[in-house]
Amino acid sequence: MSTKNIYRPQSKTDYSTYLFILPAFIFYIIFVFFPLADTFLNSFTQWNGISEKKWVGLDQYINNLQNKKITSSIKHSFILIIFYSFLPIVIGLLIAGIMIRVKINGMATYRAILFLPQILSMIVVGIAWRWIYAPKGPLNSGLDFFGLEDVSRAWLGSFDYALPFVGLIGTWVMFGFTMILFIAGVQKIPTELYDAAKVDGAGAISEFFNVTLPNLKGEIVVALVFTVTLALRNFDLIYITTGGGPGTSTMIPSMFIYKKAFQMNQVGSASSLGIMLTLLIFTLVSLILIIFRDKK
Amino acid sequence: MNKILLVFTAMLALSFASKADNLRILAEAGDEATLTVAIAQFEEANPGVTVEASYLGWDDFMSTIKLKMADNDPPDLAHGNQGFTVDGTLIQSGLVISLEKYADAYGWKNLFADGALAEFMWSDDGSTWGSGNLYGISPVAEDVIVYYNKDKLKSLGLSVPSTFAEFENALKVSKDAGELPIALGGADGWPIIHVWGLVEGAHVDPSQTRSWIFNAKNTDYSTPDRMKAAEKLADMASAGYFGSDSLGIGYDDANAMFIGGEGVFNLTGTWMTADFNSGMGDNVGAFAMPRANGGVAGGGSFALPWHISSKSENPALAAKFINHLLSNEFIDDLMGVGRVPAQSPTIDPTSNLQAEVIAASNALVGANAKTFYTDWATPGMYDTVTQELQKVIGGAASAQDFMDAMAAESVN
Repeated sequence: MSTKNIYRPQSKTDYSTYLFILPAFIFYIIFVFFPLADTFLNSFTQWNGISEKKWVGLDQYINNLQNKKITSSIKHSFILIIFYSFLPIVIGLLIAGIMIRVKINGMATYRAILFLPQILSMIVVGIAWRWIYAPKGPLNSGLDFFGLEDVSRAWLGSFDYALPFVGLIGTWVMFGFTMILFIAGVQKIPTELYDAAKVDGAGAISEFFNVTLPNLKGEIVVALVFTVTLALRNFDLIYITTGGGPGTSTMIPSMFIYKKAFQMNQVGSASSLGIMLTLLIFTLVSLILIIFRDKK
Repeated sequence: MNKILLVFTAMLALSFASKADNLRILAEAGDEATLTVAIAQFEEANPGVTVEASYLGWDDFMSTIKLKMADNDPPDLAHGNQGFTVDGTLIQSGLVISLEKYADAYGWKNLFADGALAEFMWSDDGSTWGSGNLYGISPVAEDVIVYYNKDKLKSLGLSVPSTFAEFENALKVSKDAGELPIALGGADGWPIIHVWGLVEGAHVDPSQTRSWIFNAKNTDYSTPDRMKAAEKLADMASAGYFGSDSLGIGYDDANAMFIGGEGVFNLTGTWMTADFNSGMGDNVGAFAMPRANGGVAGGGSFALPWHISSKSENPALAAKFINHLLSNEFIDDLMGVGRVPAQSPTIDPTSNLQAEVIAASNALVGANAKTFYTDWATPGMYDTVTQELQKVIGGAASAQDFMDAMAAESVN
């Protein structure tokens, strides 16, 4: 084979390669960049959606920060991170850890069943769980069956329980995703490491913390970024199950964005809240990436 | 060449002609059945006219109607929604026209009592509401009244209450007998507005409530009467008259419960008449909520108003269609599907329940007692009132908290 035909990087940039990203780039500009830039500009205006826009500078941002309902809705989002992100990662790791040690027949079937919530539409999930949590739904019937009538209640209508119970739906949806991610990650860990651990007399727990966990760092970061983002921008699940209620006990920023833009004629204010939420997500994701970056 | 020109001109003329006789309608999906009939009647009565209607479900409709009307090619005729959020915005932006000219020509105002159309009257700049020019109209009345389970009321030894105190007593007797006094779908928030409307109406002068809705910013909300109503609602909630689970039950589920025999009373709108009638037959009755000091109290209003687009090429045809909706022919069709026409029908009620509902509706009209819906008052009111009412029902807020939050939103 002649060496002439072997591809090697050219010193001169070949701009024609940019043509390959052009279609995707055009879509990105039209459907991501323009709406984002437009939202950014609208966030400095007072605008009802159809009339003239009035430039108000940073007023909308200041008003949002002073609105107690909005600040408390951000608090709810952080509580949801526990349910959407922390719990699924812990459960996912646990299942991945068990699967290394224990051989189960029909594993693929179980994996598929556990992953199922991920592929369901959030609307379907929301409606199903609203039924499960209903005053006369399966959850309360089960509790009543075991003589726990005092415990059963309208879970999503309770000021104390609505938020954690909506959160648990998120846990149920997300842990299939983290589980698959971690199982895939575990499979690429060299078996020599496990053999070495065994030779050193490591038990299941020590093996998990010394071999499995450190080797899954990359997957954990991916899971964190994905689930934290979802926890903060989640809309459909809350919209379907509680609509932010009862009162404002499950209100989250994305519900406010919807209500402001479509119910209250406050597109400017909705835009500023959208930008604030984007910045919050961006900051948190950056923090995660900084904390977990490889130190060399 | 000349032939081609001739054909071309003819085609052009035809296309203009068809455009002029083409009416495009955008409506909320709840009216699809009745409008389909009305359109067929209208097309038959007006040869050459074609009507194209499209429908959107409530949420989609309300979140897009303003944008659709602001479009370069909007529908000629469309539903709006009373209040500053939709109607006010449409008028402020000059997207819909005043119907005064057509109302005079067709005599629409003579069909209704004086002042009955106030909810459709606006200043031309859309800044003040409740008087001014007519910008919308509807053939349908939607009143909030009390439905009740006849067997249950009878077996509890009760009769239809004629004062609010008697109504309260009926709730107490029901509760003591282990019945659910009021079926309420509080999870959705807005059904509590209907309950509040009736409790408020029983204690507060209806004209006072209407003035507040039309001009919330400059009307005192925290009156002693209204405070009394708020306390009454909080007492009803803490006495368990809505059951312990109402905030976990949606509107449709609560109505299904009521139809299934759970709940003595159901405080809701006349749009449920056909469903209750088919589900409960002669076991369901209806009455207008009695006031504390005699007379009747009612939330409710006309149904969604029809507006003519300011960009419509043929507003006269749109007005003609509205006139058809206000005609006896269509009114009687409304009766047939179990709705309550805003005008007197020419045919008899189709069921016992419809007869009672129409009697209740007439009592409200006669007493000028309709108080609309609390959430009309300001664009942010829907959110505030639903959240605060859920708190009152769930015992998470006192009557005073409710009044403070509502007064604050009024001037927001």
